[in-house]
Amino acid sequence: MTNAVTGAETSNVQIVSEDDVVRVQDLKLNFYTALGVVRALNGVSFNIPRGKVLGVVGESGCGKSQTGLSIMQLTTGRIEGGSILFREFNTGEAIDITRLEKNGPEMRHIRGNNISMIFQEPMTSLNPCYTVGNQIEEAILLHQTQDKAEARKRAVDILQKVGMPNPERIADSYPHQLSGGMRQRAMIAMALSCTPTLLIADEPTTALDVTTEAQILDLMRDLQNEIGTSIMFITHNMGVVAQMCDEVAVMYLGRIIERATIDDIFYDPKHPYTISLLRSIPRLGVARGEKLESIKGTVPDPYSTVTGCPFHPRCPAAIPGLCDAVMPDETFVAGSRTHTVRCHLYT
Amino acid sequence: MLNFIARRVVNMIFLLIIVSFVGFWIIQLPPGSILDTQIQRLRAQGGNLPESLIQALRTRYGVDDPFYVQYWKWISRSLQGDFGTSFETDQTVAERIYNRLGISVSLSLTALLFTWLVSIPIGVYSATHRYSWPDYIITFVQFLGLSIPGFLLALILLITASRLWDQPIGGLFSPQYADAPWSVAKLMDFLGHVWIAIVVLAVGATAGLTRVMRANLLDVLNMQYIQTARAKGLQEATVIWKHAVRNAIHPLVMSLGTLLPALIVGETLIAIILSLPTIGPLYLDALRSQDMYLAGTILVMLSALLLIGNLIADLLLAWVDPRVRLE
Repeated sequence: MTNAVTGAETSNVQIVSEDDVVRVQDLKLNFYTALGVVRALNGVSFNIPRGKVLGVVGESGCGKSQTGLSIMQLTTGRIEGGSILFREFNTGEAIDITRLEKNGPEMRHIRGNNISMIFQEPMTSLNPCYTVGNQIEEAILLHQTQDKAEARKRAVDILQKVGMPNPERIADSYPHQLSGGMRQRAMIAMALSCTPTLLIADEPTTALDVTTEAQILDLMRDLQNEIGTSIMFITHNMGVVAQMCDEVAVMYLGRIIERATIDDIFYDPKHPYTISLLRSIPRLGVARGEKLESIKGTVPDPYSTVTGCPFHPRCPAAIPGLCDAVMPDETFVAGSRTHTVRCHLYT
Repeated sequence: MLNFIARRVVNMIFLLIIVSFVGFWIIQLPPGSILDTQIQRLRAQGGNLPESLIQALRTRYGVDDPFYVQYWKWISRSLQGDFGTSFETDQTVAERIYNRLGISVSLSLTALLFTWLVSIPIGVYSATHRYSWPDYIITFVQFLGLSIPGFLLALILLITASRLWDQPIGGLFSPQYADAPWSVAKLMDFLGHVWIAIVVLAVGATAGLTRVMRANLLDVLNMQYIQTARAKGLQEATVIWKHAVRNAIHPLVMSLGTLLPALIVGETLIAIILSLPTIGPLYLDALRSQDMYLAGTILVMLSALLLIGNLIADLLLAWVDPRVRLE
């Protein structure tokens, strides 16, 4: 069953698991704009094991959303290199998504059926002109059954599952009649209606208030345990990561600069960027008057290319002559087979 | 919903009464009356009109009454379906209007249909193929359509049609069919005449609405729910036509309300050039000769069309977009 994917090239730092549902290798994505080329992803590699939650964190513009959209082939940029191997775990069949035609039948069969996605803005991610039920049924009718009554029944069932009171009535409601939290529940229902192998959640709780956020995260965790879907959880909120994820990939300027299990990221972060990111979270119990640390400088202009390590202009530990000239390789942290870092301090 | 429609209809009746009153008042504001025009015409024909005859005519037409008396005479009978007699020709107003109003409304409706049938698909194509060569060409033609005045286009088409295809100019029928009963040949002749009118009437609105459709669809295509629809695995055509167009079509629906009377009024100049027997030229004549009953009736009819058009537009919009439905 695993043989299908062994043909892919694997670098020495690939954390190979027999159980991966997605294995992204050296993914490169460019945007060609009137102002020049934006290199959004510069060789992103990661994998998501079956039934696990991978958190992808980073600042705005680091390419985390584009990574998710690339897996769906919904990005408006052009994939210039690398591969995205996707394995449907019921059939064990592995497909390189980058080789599929963008809007071809195979890609459309995967979208919404094997891989589904939920977005940041629950207020605008449902079509205002159709009922919630209609929009969920649309996905079910497309992928699962031709029977309209059956699709309706399944839609109501899944709405019940995501904790909607009176799912029948919700199914007949229009999005504008629901609150933000309810809409996000409806989106989750839609995304899970075809029991996908992978769910890509692009900042699903960023636009919600804290109480609703906690409810939605609980719900996602519960459903994930129940259905066994793997989740790629894109966020910039380390608190959410701590609550949701099994593994974490930290991104900076279109590269993953550190990958580790959730415990290693929080208790033993290696990359200076990860360390700064964790220090810039306000905490309870820290002495008053103490200044909250921030990462100095700003993310470089997207049209420019930075030589060497992309983080060196902002890095407190940059080594002159090395960090600004040579791009560090991704290497295992000594003594670990799950923790990798892309930094000269650890080579 | 029925409640909503009933309320709107009651409002419409009140509005129509106000419009007719104000309209009637404005029409009689200029000095002189229909009678002066008549007397002048009779004198020009060489008749020597005795003062007693003039006085008799004045009483008969009631031109010396204050305008609110004239208004009351007209409106009270109009409510019973009798719009009075045209001063100018002694025909009843209804007789003079109905045929022309029918032609006007059907011409305008056809032009409206044409506008929609052309501007929606072209707007969609233009938006989904933004900054491609076809899009540039469409944009260029649009600006041409927006900037050429209708009467000029009417003249150009008339000349082209008559030079190239040897088509008879103007009117709705060739002379040999004018009084003939309807037949396939007459229908073909009619279509041969009428297409110029429809194209000229529709071209400005089509160009404008294509532009609106393109801009709106471009906005909608950036919405998150379009991404959601794609993420479901829907075909691009379904994404566009089911999810995007329905959200982008509002201004086109709303344009229905204003476009209908605008087309009817806008055709006046074109109708004169193409010698079409429509309501526009008649309205112009009635205003110039202060043919009160005729002008007032046309004014009320046009206002009624505007209000009905708006009501239809509102109902259509509620059907398209659940957010505007009343609970």
